[in-house]
Amino acid sequence: MAHAAAAQEKLFALREQIARLEGRSLPAMAAAKMENFAARLGGEEKLSFDIAALDDALSGGLPLDCITEIRSGSFSDAGAATGFSLSLVGLMKARKAATGPMLWIADGFTAGEMGIPYAGGIRQFGIDSRTIFHASPRRLEDALWLAEGALESKAFIATILEVHANPKSFGLAESRRLSLRAKAAGRPLFLLRHAGGEEASSASVRLLVEPAPALERPLPDGSMLGGSIGHPVFNITLEKSRNPAPLSFRLEWNLHDRQFQLARNPGKSSFHKWPAHSGASLSVSADRQDRQKALGDVVAFERAS
Amino acid sequence: MRLVAIDEVARTRSLKRGQGLAEARAMYPDIDVFDEDERADFALLEAIADWCDRYTPLVALDGKDGLFLDITGCTHLFGGEDAMLRDILARLFQMGFDVRGSISSTPGLSSAISRFGHGGVIAREGMASALGALPVHALRLDEKTVASLLKLGLKRVANLMSMPRAPLARRFGAQLLMRLDQALGTNEEAISPRRPVAPLSAERRLSEPIQTEEDILGMTAEIASSLKLSLENRGAGGKVFELVLFRVDGRVFRISAGASRPLRDPKRISGLFSERLNAIHDDLDAGFGFELLRLNVLQHDVFDALQADFSGEEGRETSLADFIDRVSARFGAGCLQVYQHQQSHIPERAEIFLPAIAELERQPQCSENLQFLPRADRPLRLLRSPEPVEAFAALVPDGPPQQFRWRHVMHIVTRAEGPERISPEWWIDDENAKERDYFRLESELGRLFWVFRLGRYGDDPPPTWRIHGVFA
Repeated sequence: MAHAAAAQEKLFALREQIARLEGRSLPAMAAAKMENFAARLGGEEKLSFDIAALDDALSGGLPLDCITEIRSGSFSDAGAATGFSLSLVGLMKARKAATGPMLWIADGFTAGEMGIPYAGGIRQFGIDSRTIFHASPRRLEDALWLAEGALESKAFIATILEVHANPKSFGLAESRRLSLRAKAAGRPLFLLRHAGGEEASSASVRLLVEPAPALERPLPDGSMLGGSIGHPVFNITLEKSRNPAPLSFRLEWNLHDRQFQLARNPGKSSFHKWPAHSGASLSVSADRQDRQKALGDVVAFERAS
Repeated sequence: MRLVAIDEVARTRSLKRGQGLAEARAMYPDIDVFDEDERADFALLEAIADWCDRYTPLVALDGKDGLFLDITGCTHLFGGEDAMLRDILARLFQMGFDVRGSISSTPGLSSAISRFGHGGVIAREGMASALGALPVHALRLDEKTVASLLKLGLKRVANLMSMPRAPLARRFGAQLLMRLDQALGTNEEAISPRRPVAPLSAERRLSEPIQTEEDILGMTAEIASSLKLSLENRGAGGKVFELVLFRVDGRVFRISAGASRPLRDPKRISGLFSERLNAIHDDLDAGFGFELLRLNVLQHDVFDALQADFSGEEGRETSLADFIDRVSARFGAGCLQVYQHQQSHIPERAEIFLPAIAELERQPQCSENLQFLPRADRPLRLLRSPEPVEAFAALVPDGPPQQFRWRHVMHIVTRAEGPERISPEWWIDDENAKERDYFRLESELGRLFWVFRLGRYGDDPPPTWRIHGVFA
């Protein structure tokens, strides 16, 4: 009996060790034991999306002290991937009221293929473009050096590292190194992988971003402006997370409120091809001669019985 | 073809500079002749001038084959004028150059004595007699004047010095007397140094040359800490630093590094150079080592002393500046940039990049005038230059296309917003530049493109369609 208890003890210790290596929250029993230890760490910082299903899947939100990989399937989706990673920074700024600069480490090939992030658009996305530093290293090694230096300096609230495809020189060792740096600094690194495949890495969360048709622009009275293109909508698939099953969400980024919401299905869209006058049509005139006159006002019906 | 330079042996055989090549060949058929390579000569002279920086920061070129060193106030560092001259000549001789030199109170006299006299140090009282013994060529006059002086039998400068000035000036022009006065010091002559003098600089002479990067950086930090006091006295911090490395064999390397904020801290200064050395690793050949290191502050600025507070907010500021400095030192100032809004409606002109290292200081103060920002939607990624697309079934005259082909892929448009017309800037573009009508087009898959029509229907040539960016 005592032997079994000792084995149990050992098992817990090992589990604990593995959990710590993986940066996961400790199993319940061990967690109770390590309570004061966790208190010392001050708890992990998480970026909550305010969407219950998504937050549950991420066990509380996006962890902000590690690598988050944002992947797009092809270069044509670069716009959506760029938008989603910037919206995460925007959400951080809105949530934590964190001020400070962010660093965008661009990839030369992507810049040639899909252009560079444009300050005008970024500003409309809810991020002050003056707080963005844009680095354009020539080689991937330089980009990794920049990312590491940026994390180490703790000067940036977020760092976005852009790569394309799955380069050989950015393998498991490099991503592990960056992940440790991020953990030590407590700053997030968003790895934006354009046109890349799924790959084993030290990123704690990997998301696949696909564009989705935007909803229409809302009008003040709650209806939608037909034929207009509203806030950006992303199709997010959680490819790597604590949650075993890949989950998909359709998120709309509200540029003005700087928050995500689940995009409603477009449903029965009053879609017509670009109306000549896109404003609301005029109300029907009520008191002209061609209308039938109402026969006096109905005040109340008589009681039937 | 003429001889422009001759060696020792040729001089003893009475060949002269300026002599025709055919004549020289006729006299001595066995001479070796090489074409003059002016650029290589100049590069060599520059290299020697660089090396001479170890004696004084004020080094100027004297024609094609001479150097002026302004050693005012430097001689005591080398044990007096005589010792200094001997040191310079001996070191250059060891490098394989046959060099003459002299020290005197004026550049003109020094040049004359070293070219036509016996060199050495000329004291102030001996100037006139030293100059008088030289031929008139020594006065740096043009050839015509020299020829007419010789024709009149005025062979030595002493002949000129004893003559009345007014007739000389009338006969030979003002240049002759000016040169004479300059050589004797009655007329000021300024030399133009090759490099501006650094406001602050400090150096270390090493008896044992150093080679490794760590040694160089350690030495840099040491020199920087000796500069710190002078920076503090001025209430300044350095913005642009230059590290000059003198290699044992005479080659000189100059490495400069900039900082985004004025710096004083020796550790951060040597940190700047650590990145620079990393970047130029292959170009810096230590050879047998460096024997002299000098750190120049080329540019300094007011240093705002900061008192660290408890919250550590100030720490982020300096860590940002530090990061920018390190990146700029390693990859150049163009690598890390910030956005700057320009007052223009043309999208590619409205936002430009500026190096972060120059902007960090200015940034907090300048507030953008938000009134000029465009109200209409702008894309998240802007293509380097608009790419042509094939648009189909566009509504005439100002409607969007219903489908378009970009990079061989057909996109079917489901929704469109626009047009937003942007007129060309005639004061920059051509007067005939065409206006653009921008549309936001959403494809079936939900991708959003920013496409514009260049020109109008009915024009000749017909309008073309371009894609300029993508939205999220």
